[in-house]
Amino acid sequence: MAAAQVTQGVTGSLNTIGAGLAYGLAAIGPGIGIGIVGGKALEAMARQPEMSGRIQTTMFIGIAFTEALALLGFVLALILNR
Amino acid sequence: MQGLTERVAELLHELANLPAFASLSGAEAVPAGSPWVFSNYIFWMIIAAVLTAIFFMIAARKVRLVPAGVSNIAEAGVEFVRNMCVDVMGEQGLKYFPYVATLFFFILFNNLIGLIPGFKPGTGTIGVTATLALMTWVVFVWVGFRKNGFFGYMKSLIPAGVREMGLAGRIGLGAYIFLLEFFSTFIIRPLTLAVRLFANMYAGHIIIGIFAAFVALSWSNFTVGGGLVGLVSLVMTILMYAFEVFVAFIQAYVFAILTAVYIGSSLHASEH
Repeated sequence: MAAAQVTQGVTGSLNTIGAGLAYGLAAIGPGIGIGIVGGKALEAMARQPEMSGRIQTTMFIGIAFTEALALLGFVLALILNR
Repeated sequence: MQGLTERVAELLHELANLPAFASLSGAEAVPAGSPWVFSNYIFWMIIAAVLTAIFFMIAARKVRLVPAGVSNIAEAGVEFVRNMCVDVMGEQGLKYFPYVATLFFFILFNNLIGLIPGFKPGTGTIGVTATLALMTWVVFVWVGFRKNGFFGYMKSLIPAGVREMGLAGRIGLGAYIFLLEFFSTFIIRPLTLAVRLFANMYAGHIIIGIFAAFVALSWSNFTVGGGLVGLVSLVMTILMYAFEVFVAFIQAYVFAILTAVYIGSSLHASEH
Protein backbone atom coordinates (compact mmCIF):
# COMPACT_ATOMS: atom_id res chain seq x y z
CA MET A 1 0.00 0.00 0.00
CA ALA A 2 2.80 2.37 0.88
CA ALA A 3 4.54 1.37 -2.29
CA ALA A 4 1.42 2.13 -4.33
CA GLN A 5 1.15 5.54 -2.71
CA VAL A 6 4.79 6.30 -3.44
CA THR A 7 4.61 5.32 -7.12
CA GLN A 8 1.31 7.04 -7.76
CA GLY A 9 2.76 10.20 -9.19
CA VAL A 10 5.35 8.50 -11.38
CA THR A 11 4.67 9.29 -15.02
CA GLY A 12 7.96 8.24 -16.55
CA SER A 13 8.53 5.11 -18.52
CA LEU A 14 11.33 2.62 -18.70
CA ASN A 15 12.45 4.42 -21.85
CA THR A 16 13.46 7.46 -19.84
CA ILE A 17 15.41 5.40 -17.32
CA GLY A 18 17.08 3.61 -20.19
CA ALA A 19 17.99 6.90 -21.80
CA GLY A 20 19.62 8.20 -18.67
CA LEU A 21 21.49 4.95 -18.12
CA ALA A 22 22.56 4.84 -21.76
CA TYR A 23 24.29 8.18 -21.75
CA GLY A 24 25.63 7.86 -18.22
CA LEU A 25 27.29 4.54 -18.89
CA ALA A 26 28.41 5.58 -22.34
CA ALA A 27 30.27 8.60 -21.00
CA ILE A 28 32.44 6.72 -18.50
CA GLY A 29 34.79 4.97 -20.92
CA PRO A 30 35.40 7.86 -23.29
CA GLY A 31 35.87 10.22 -20.37
CA ILE A 32 38.71 8.11 -19.03
CA GLY A 33 39.99 7.47 -22.55
CA ILE A 34 40.17 11.14 -23.50
CA GLY A 35 41.90 11.87 -20.21
CA ILE A 36 44.53 9.24 -20.96
CA VAL A 37 45.04 10.50 -24.52
CA GLY A 38 45.35 14.09 -23.37
CA GLY A 39 47.73 13.19 -20.58
CA LYS A 40 50.00 11.16 -22.82
CA ALA A 41 50.00 13.95 -25.39
CA LEU A 42 50.98 16.44 -22.69
CA GLU A 43 53.82 14.19 -21.52
CA ALA A 44 55.08 13.75 -25.06
CA MET A 45 54.92 17.47 -25.76
CA ALA A 46 56.82 18.21 -22.57
CA ARG A 47 59.51 15.70 -23.46
CA GLN A 48 59.99 16.95 -27.00
CA PRO A 49 58.55 20.45 -27.58
CA GLU A 50 59.63 20.58 -31.22
CA MET A 51 57.19 17.77 -32.06
CA SER A 52 54.23 19.66 -30.54
CA GLY A 53 52.46 20.16 -33.86
CA ARG A 54 52.50 16.51 -34.83
CA ILE A 55 51.52 15.39 -31.33
CA GLN A 56 48.65 17.86 -31.14
CA THR A 57 47.30 16.63 -34.47
CA THR A 58 47.40 13.01 -33.37
CA MET A 59 45.84 13.94 -30.04
CA PHE A 60 42.87 15.48 -31.82
CA ILE A 61 42.39 12.36 -33.92
CA GLY A 62 42.50 10.20 -30.79
CA ILE A 63 40.00 12.43 -29.00
CA ALA A 64 37.64 12.37 -31.98
CA PHE A 65 37.64 8.57 -32.06
CA THR A 66 36.79 8.14 -28.38
CA GLU A 67 34.37 11.06 -28.30
CA ALA A 68 32.35 9.43 -31.06
CA LEU A 69 31.47 6.58 -28.73
CA ALA A 70 30.21 8.90 -26.02
CA LEU A 71 28.15 10.82 -28.54
CA LEU A 72 26.68 7.58 -29.87
CA GLY A 73 25.31 7.08 -26.35
CA PHE A 74 24.00 10.64 -26.23
CA VAL A 75 22.17 10.23 -29.52
CA LEU A 76 20.75 6.91 -28.33
CA ALA A 77 19.47 8.62 -25.19
CA LEU A 78 17.71 11.21 -27.30
CA ILE A 79 16.17 8.56 -29.53
CA LEU A 80 14.97 6.60 -26.51
CA ASN A 81 13.37 9.69 -25.05
CA ARG A 82 11.23 10.41 -28.07
CA MET B 1 9.53 21.73 -13.42
CA GLN B 2 6.65 21.90 -15.85
CA GLY B 3 7.99 24.86 -17.75
CA LEU B 4 11.34 23.17 -18.35
CA THR B 5 9.79 20.02 -19.83
CA GLU B 6 7.70 22.09 -22.19
CA ARG B 7 10.64 24.23 -23.23
CA VAL B 8 12.86 21.19 -23.84
CA ALA B 9 10.11 19.58 -25.92
CA GLU B 10 9.84 22.81 -27.91
CA LEU B 11 13.63 22.90 -28.33
CA LEU B 12 13.73 19.34 -29.62
CA HIS B 13 10.88 20.13 -32.00
CA GLU B 14 12.81 23.14 -33.28
CA LEU B 15 15.86 20.99 -33.92
CA ALA B 16 13.94 18.25 -35.71
CA ASN B 17 13.65 17.97 -39.48
CA LEU B 18 10.83 20.36 -40.26
CA PRO B 19 9.79 21.24 -43.78
CA ALA B 20 11.62 24.36 -44.92
CA PHE B 21 9.43 27.45 -45.03
CA ALA B 22 7.05 25.63 -42.69
CA SER B 23 5.54 28.91 -41.62
CA LEU B 24 4.62 29.59 -45.22
CA SER B 25 3.26 26.17 -46.09
CA GLY B 26 1.70 25.54 -42.72
CA ALA B 27 3.10 22.01 -42.57
CA GLU B 28 3.71 20.71 -39.09
CA ALA B 29 6.12 17.88 -39.69
CA VAL B 30 7.87 16.26 -42.59
CA PRO B 31 5.26 14.24 -44.47
CA ALA B 32 5.90 10.55 -43.95
CA GLY B 33 7.03 8.50 -46.91
CA SER B 34 8.00 11.38 -49.18
CA PRO B 35 11.37 10.61 -50.79
CA TRP B 36 12.46 14.16 -51.53
CA VAL B 37 12.50 15.96 -48.28
CA PHE B 38 13.31 19.65 -48.39
CA SER B 39 13.65 20.22 -44.68
CA ASN B 40 14.99 23.26 -42.85
CA TYR B 41 18.41 21.58 -42.51
CA ILE B 42 18.63 21.02 -46.27
CA PHE B 43 17.72 24.64 -46.88
CA TRP B 44 20.61 25.84 -44.71
CA MET B 45 22.94 23.25 -46.24
CA ILE B 46 22.25 24.73 -49.66
CA ILE B 47 22.87 28.22 -48.32
CA ALA B 48 26.18 27.09 -46.80
CA ALA B 49 27.21 25.37 -50.04
CA VAL B 50 26.44 28.51 -52.05
CA LEU B 51 28.40 30.57 -49.52
CA THR B 52 31.42 28.27 -49.81
CA ALA B 53 31.32 28.55 -53.58
CA ILE B 54 31.05 32.34 -53.45
CA PHE B 55 33.85 32.54 -50.87
CA PHE B 56 36.26 30.60 -53.02
CA MET B 57 35.24 32.30 -56.23
CA ILE B 58 36.03 35.67 -54.66
CA ALA B 59 39.28 34.33 -53.23
CA ALA B 60 40.42 32.94 -56.57
CA ARG B 61 39.60 36.11 -58.47
CA LYS B 62 42.98 37.82 -58.33
CA VAL B 63 45.81 35.41 -57.75
CA ARG B 64 48.77 37.45 -56.54
CA LEU B 65 52.15 36.41 -55.21
CA VAL B 66 51.35 37.91 -51.82
CA PRO B 67 47.64 37.36 -51.12
CA ALA B 68 45.49 39.85 -49.30
CA GLY B 69 42.04 39.87 -47.75
CA VAL B 70 39.78 36.96 -48.61
CA SER B 71 42.49 35.30 -50.70
CA ASN B 72 44.74 35.32 -47.65
CA ILE B 73 42.29 33.40 -45.48
CA ALA B 74 41.41 31.00 -48.26
CA GLU B 75 45.06 30.31 -49.04
CA ALA B 76 45.89 29.79 -45.37
CA GLY B 77 43.07 27.27 -45.08
CA VAL B 78 43.91 25.44 -48.29
CA GLU B 79 47.60 25.27 -47.35
CA PHE B 80 46.68 23.88 -43.95
CA VAL B 81 44.61 21.10 -45.54
CA ARG B 82 47.31 20.47 -48.16
CA ASN B 83 50.02 20.03 -45.50
CA MET B 84 47.76 17.67 -43.61
CA CYS B 85 47.12 15.63 -46.77
CA VAL B 86 50.79 15.31 -47.61
CA ASP B 87 51.56 14.40 -43.99
CA VAL B 88 48.97 11.66 -43.88
CA MET B 89 48.81 10.28 -47.41
CA GLY B 90 52.25 11.00 -48.80
CA GLU B 91 52.91 12.49 -52.20
CA GLN B 92 50.41 10.24 -54.01
CA GLY B 93 47.75 11.64 -51.77
CA LEU B 94 47.77 14.96 -53.58
CA LYS B 95 45.47 13.42 -56.16
CA TYR B 96 42.76 13.22 -53.48
CA PHE B 97 43.54 16.56 -51.89
CA PRO B 98 40.78 18.48 -53.76
CA TYR B 99 38.19 16.09 -52.36
CA VAL B 100 39.50 16.38 -48.81
CA ALA B 101 39.73 20.16 -49.04
CA THR B 102 36.17 20.44 -50.39
CA LEU B 103 34.98 18.19 -47.59
CA PHE B 104 36.77 20.29 -44.98
CA PHE B 105 35.46 23.65 -46.16
CA PHE B 106 31.94 22.41 -46.87
CA ILE B 107 31.63 20.93 -43.39
CA LEU B 108 33.26 23.98 -41.80
CA PHE B 109 30.87 26.42 -43.46
CA ASN B 110 27.91 24.23 -42.58
CA ASN B 111 28.95 24.00 -38.94
CA LEU B 112 29.64 27.72 -38.59
CA ILE B 113 26.43 28.80 -40.31
CA GLY B 114 24.47 26.79 -37.79
CA LEU B 115 25.83 28.86 -34.93
CA ILE B 116 23.94 31.96 -36.01
CA PRO B 117 20.69 32.02 -34.02
CA GLY B 118 17.79 30.96 -36.19
CA PHE B 119 20.03 29.27 -38.74
CA LYS B 120 20.57 25.52 -38.76
CA PRO B 121 23.76 23.59 -39.50
CA GLY B 122 23.36 21.49 -42.60
CA THR B 123 25.45 18.81 -40.94
CA GLY B 124 23.06 18.64 -38.01
CA THR B 125 20.94 16.00 -39.67
CA ILE B 126 22.04 12.41 -40.10
CA GLY B 127 21.06 12.45 -43.79
CA VAL B 128 23.73 14.97 -44.75
CA THR B 129 26.52 13.47 -42.63
CA ALA B 130 25.65 9.95 -43.78
CA THR B 131 25.92 11.11 -47.39
CA LEU B 132 29.34 12.66 -46.76
CA ALA B 133 30.50 9.50 -44.97
CA LEU B 134 29.15 7.41 -47.85
CA MET B 135 31.11 9.50 -50.34
CA THR B 136 34.28 8.97 -48.32
CA TRP B 137 33.55 5.26 -48.06
CA VAL B 138 33.12 4.95 -51.82
CA VAL B 139 36.39 6.83 -52.38
CA PHE B 140 38.55 4.80 -50.05
CA VAL B 141 37.03 1.45 -51.06
CA TRP B 142 37.38 2.34 -54.73
CA VAL B 143 41.01 3.42 -54.21
CA GLY B 144 41.68 0.20 -52.31
CA PHE B 145 40.31 -1.95 -55.13
CA ARG B 146 41.99 0.09 -57.86
CA LYS B 147 45.42 0.00 -56.24
CA ASN B 148 45.52 -3.48 -54.79
CA GLY B 149 42.99 -5.46 -56.77
CA PHE B 150 39.97 -7.01 -55.13
CA PHE B 151 41.73 -9.99 -53.54
CA GLY B 152 44.82 -7.96 -52.77
CA TYR B 153 42.78 -5.49 -50.78
CA MET B 154 40.96 -8.24 -48.92
CA LYS B 155 44.23 -9.99 -48.16
CA SER B 156 45.76 -6.78 -46.85
CA LEU B 157 43.21 -6.75 -44.06
CA ILE B 158 45.09 -9.65 -42.47
CA PRO B 159 48.44 -8.54 -41.05
CA ALA B 160 51.61 -9.88 -42.67
CA GLY B 161 52.73 -11.94 -39.70
CA VAL B 162 49.54 -13.95 -39.70
CA ARG B 163 49.75 -14.51 -43.44
CA GLU B 164 53.07 -16.25 -42.99
CA MET B 165 51.92 -18.70 -40.34
CA GLY B 166 51.12 -22.35 -40.98
CA LEU B 167 47.84 -23.45 -42.51
CA ALA B 168 46.02 -23.90 -39.20
CA GLY B 169 47.15 -20.48 -38.03
CA ARG B 170 46.10 -18.81 -41.23
CA ILE B 171 42.64 -20.38 -41.20
CA GLY B 172 41.94 -19.88 -37.52
CA LEU B 173 43.57 -16.60 -36.64
CA GLY B 174 43.42 -15.21 -40.15
CA ALA B 175 39.71 -15.73 -40.53
CA TYR B 176 39.03 -14.23 -37.14
CA ILE B 177 41.17 -11.17 -37.76
CA PHE B 178 39.75 -10.82 -41.26
CA LEU B 179 36.23 -10.75 -39.86
CA LEU B 180 37.15 -8.11 -37.30
CA GLU B 181 39.05 -5.97 -39.77
CA PHE B 182 36.32 -6.29 -42.39
CA PHE B 183 33.73 -5.11 -39.94
CA SER B 184 35.98 -2.32 -38.70
CA THR B 185 37.00 -1.08 -42.12
CA PHE B 186 33.86 -1.36 -44.17
CA ILE B 187 31.15 -0.77 -41.61
CA ILE B 188 32.46 0.98 -38.51
CA ARG B 189 34.47 3.63 -40.36
CA PRO B 190 31.68 5.26 -42.37
CA LEU B 191 29.20 4.76 -39.54
CA THR B 192 31.32 6.54 -36.96
CA LEU B 193 32.23 9.27 -39.43
CA ALA B 194 28.57 10.02 -39.97
CA VAL B 195 27.46 9.73 -36.35
CA ARG B 196 30.43 11.68 -34.93
CA LEU B 197 29.73 14.75 -37.04
CA PHE B 198 25.96 14.56 -36.63
CA ALA B 199 26.06 13.98 -32.88
CA ASN B 200 28.54 16.79 -32.29
CA MET B 201 26.43 19.31 -34.17
CA TYR B 202 23.07 18.13 -32.84
CA ALA B 203 24.22 17.78 -29.24
CA GLY B 204 25.93 21.16 -29.31
CA HIS B 205 22.75 22.91 -30.26
CA ILE B 206 20.79 21.03 -27.63
CA ILE B 207 23.23 22.02 -24.90
CA ILE B 208 23.08 25.69 -25.84
CA GLY B 209 19.31 25.47 -26.07
CA ILE B 210 18.95 23.87 -22.65
CA PHE B 211 21.06 26.48 -20.94
CA ALA B 212 19.08 29.19 -22.71
CA ALA B 213 15.87 27.48 -21.56
CA PHE B 214 17.18 27.58 -18.00
CA VAL B 215 17.85 31.30 -18.31
CA ALA B 216 14.40 31.98 -19.72
CA LEU B 217 12.76 29.81 -17.08
CA SER B 218 14.54 31.20 -14.04
CA TRP B 219 14.24 34.82 -15.13
CA SER B 220 10.59 34.70 -16.15
CA ASN B 221 9.24 34.37 -12.61
CA PHE B 222 11.96 36.19 -10.77
CA THR B 223 13.18 35.08 -7.35
CA VAL B 224 16.59 35.79 -5.83
CA GLY B 225 17.76 32.19 -6.07
CA GLY B 226 16.27 31.99 -9.55
CA GLY B 227 18.14 35.09 -10.60
CA LEU B 228 21.46 33.56 -9.62
CA VAL B 229 20.66 30.31 -11.42
CA GLY B 230 19.74 32.35 -14.48
CA LEU B 231 22.97 34.30 -14.33
CA VAL B 232 25.08 31.16 -14.11
CA SER B 233 23.11 29.63 -16.98
CA LEU B 234 23.64 32.77 -19.06
CA VAL B 235 27.39 32.57 -18.51
CA MET B 236 27.30 28.88 -19.39
CA THR B 237 25.35 29.65 -22.59
CA ILE B 238 28.04 32.08 -23.68
CA LEU B 239 30.81 29.63 -22.78
CA MET B 240 29.10 26.79 -24.62
CA TYR B 241 28.72 29.07 -27.65
CA ALA B 242 32.47 29.66 -27.68
CA PHE B 243 33.05 25.93 -27.24
CA GLU B 244 30.70 25.20 -30.15
CA VAL B 245 32.72 27.46 -32.45
CA PHE B 246 35.79 25.46 -31.44
CA VAL B 247 33.92 22.19 -32.00
CA ALA B 248 32.83 23.39 -35.47
CA PHE B 249 36.47 23.74 -36.53
CA ILE B 250 37.58 20.56 -34.81
CA GLN B 251 34.83 18.39 -36.31
CA ALA B 252 35.49 19.67 -39.82
CA TYR B 253 39.21 19.01 -39.30
CA VAL B 254 38.60 15.55 -37.85
CA PHE B 255 36.31 14.52 -40.72
CA ALA B 256 38.87 15.70 -43.26
CA ILE B 257 41.85 14.10 -41.57
CA LEU B 258 40.04 10.80 -41.03
CA THR B 259 39.09 10.78 -44.71
CA ALA B 260 42.76 11.35 -45.52
CA VAL B 261 43.82 8.58 -43.12
CA TYR B 262 41.37 6.10 -44.64
CA ILE B 263 42.39 6.93 -48.20
CA GLY B 264 46.02 6.72 -47.14
CA SER B 265 45.52 3.32 -45.57
CA SER B 266 43.89 2.14 -48.81
CA LEU B 267 46.77 3.54 -50.85
CA HIS B 268 49.39 1.85 -48.67
CA ALA B 269 47.43 -1.32 -47.98
CA SER B 270 49.92 -3.58 -49.73
CA GLU B 271 52.78 -2.38 -47.57
CA HIS B 272 51.53 -3.85 -44.30
